[in-house]
Amino acid sequence: MHKLKLMAAVAAVFVATPALAQEITVWDVNVSRNPTYYDAAKAAFEKAHPGATLNFVGQPDAEYYNLLNTALASKTGPDVIWANGGAQAKNLVGGLLPLNDKLPDLIKSIVGQSAFTVDGKLYFIPFTLQGHVAYYNKDMYKAVGLDPEKPPTTWAEVTKMCDTFKAAGKACFMMANKEGYEAEFFLSEMANQSLTAQQQADWASGKLHWSDAPIKAILQTWVDTYKNGWYQEGGNSQTMFLDEFTLFEQGTAANVWGLLSNVAHWKAFEKDMGADKVGVYPMPSPTVASDQHEGSPGVPLDGGVGYGVNKDSAHIDLALDAIKTLLSPEVLSVLVNDAGIVPANTAVDVSSIPSPGLKQIMGWLATRSVPTTHANASAAELDEWHRQSQALLNGDITVDAAAAALDKVQAQAKPQK
Amino acid sequence: MTASIHTGPVQRPRRRPNKSRRAETRMALLFVAPAILLVLVFRIIPLLWGFGISLTSATATAPGEFIGAGNYLRALNDPNFIASIANAGIILLSVPVFITIPMILAILIDQGVPGRGFFRSVYFFPVVLSSVIIGSIFSIVLGFNGSLNALLKFVGLPGVDWLGRSATALPVTLAIQSWSTFGMGVLIFLAGLSTVPKDMVEAARLEGAKMWQIWWHVIIPSLRPIIEFSTVITTIGLLTSMFGLIYVLTGGGPGTATTVPEYLIWSAQGRLNQPSYASALSIILFVITGALAWLQIRMMSRNTNL
Repeated sequence: MHKLKLMAAVAAVFVATPALAQEITVWDVNVSRNPTYYDAAKAAFEKAHPGATLNFVGQPDAEYYNLLNTALASKTGPDVIWANGGAQAKNLVGGLLPLNDKLPDLIKSIVGQSAFTVDGKLYFIPFTLQGHVAYYNKDMYKAVGLDPEKPPTTWAEVTKMCDTFKAAGKACFMMANKEGYEAEFFLSEMANQSLTAQQQADWASGKLHWSDAPIKAILQTWVDTYKNGWYQEGGNSQTMFLDEFTLFEQGTAANVWGLLSNVAHWKAFEKDMGADKVGVYPMPSPTVASDQHEGSPGVPLDGGVGYGVNKDSAHIDLALDAIKTLLSPEVLSVLVNDAGIVPANTAVDVSSIPSPGLKQIMGWLATRSVPTTHANASAAELDEWHRQSQALLNGDITVDAAAAALDKVQAQAKPQK
Repeated sequence: MTASIHTGPVQRPRRRPNKSRRAETRMALLFVAPAILLVLVFRIIPLLWGFGISLTSATATAPGEFIGAGNYLRALNDPNFIASIANAGIILLSVPVFITIPMILAILIDQGVPGRGFFRSVYFFPVVLSSVIIGSIFSIVLGFNGSLNALLKFVGLPGVDWLGRSATALPVTLAIQSWSTFGMGVLIFLAGLSTVPKDMVEAARLEGAKMWQIWWHVIIPSLRPIIEFSTVITTIGLLTSMFGLIYVLTGGGPGTATTVPEYLIWSAQGRLNQPSYASALSIILFVITGALAWLQIRMMSRNTNL
């Protein structure tokens, strides 16, 4: 009998421990990169919740979604989940809690929600905005006789600029398509002016197909720019993160398609090359849609990365509070200053950051943001686009055949009723 | 029932051996149980579980519905899977190369070439490196701006995008796999060569046989069991252990040039959140590997009986 009581007491202690400990686990891939932000969040959360712990687990970038899917399938996932916006986040919604009614005050001040929204339900709250712009090397522009303060604003000017670099024996744009990411960036950059708002919406819902004229034209441009010698050689075996951007900084090519937040962005380039040596411009597209304006290219923009709550978490309320802390203006401003992100929370003030690039970008975001086309494709389509884009560069497949193969994947991923 | 069988003076002497045999069986089972348990828990049950999942439309977060052979039919119509099987076929065609190179090197070492101790160590060195490290090294060597192209440019030849061109990516990957594993083959063949009767080699030499005749008529026939064993483990290794190298070197590309079934399984599970499809591909790969292993083991058994 005594033994039984003792065992019951031990069992009770084991069962009760997690409840008493109230440990909230967050999975993220940037923990080691931006320690100040996570330290600030941990301190603020634990101060507001005595007895509770906010524990950040840094996961490897390359294997993150594999690990996360496996953990969610076995109900051992973290309480708070980090994810990239778009296909990757939308793939996870089955394991997440819809947040629309849970954090209404916070959501009001957050922009870039569409990358994390499925059927009107918001599953992750973005804390960075991610967008696509072109960065250029001002010294290289000067060296070939181009005005470094006047980057191209139309496709004709882009073509002229690339012809100039080609004549000088230099690569115009960086190409790093080993993982197929360059093809993703290219899709959004080329679609930013060439698709109407309605076509962007049709694309997201699967009504606009890869073989339809506006998208097929982008595939053709992908092939044509390669054939025209715009890129450095070996692009199909060149990794993007972060080798491509290091090579750009070293002068391998004059332009690169980069990001707004986290990596390959204004802060990284200004730090490594000097704020006066790097410029930024929104990428013009080959054609201009009826609701777009020649000379005023858009910036593909959406929520970059965000946090969601595991629906199987034992501490859902605390997990929601953890997100509130992580996205609060006080904590998020640490990430803005240290890592140079563009915050999704409009309550964060970035006006004091002394960056010429960021000032230009913030101006464009207010008036020129367009949907990020590749973020609105399904994960299966992007996976296939990676393969087809490489085969197109090698001349192993025609544009028509590639578009047909992508249509097939799109039809499976986004069946039309 | 047992009592009635064992009654009577004639059967009594048999009881002791039966008892001790039963005790022996119990003891044997006890020793075998951990291994059986491990195989059951980590091999058989996951295999059956995986087969069950392959018949559904499950995702990582939803159990899905029973769809019968839907995932298998999808695989048959999936050009990427067909391409991966074709690549596996090409890889299997390279098995003779994976066997011949270490065999020749092992025979040379056994014949006493100068510096054989040095070569034995050097040949084995790549075996201790992980596939990720080997992949990283060769990514640098074979990159467009890598050392190999620098050498080609030095002698006036144009650089080649070894890992980015469809025509070169798979052969190059196979060459690297061969380099990284041949040391183990050399070791296995050296062990086999120690069993080749020296008097036969000596007799052939005294009879005036040339070097290649000794190799062809004496040494290689004696190595037959080793060649067959090496073929089995190389085949299984090539079909199931190239993931790390491919992941780092080419990511399965360009296009599907280096996509193998195991890479596609990983992609379906991890990137696309399609564990049911990944399970179906795994079962197909298991059946193919199992059939090949069965064929080869039959060959080995026949050899053992000789």
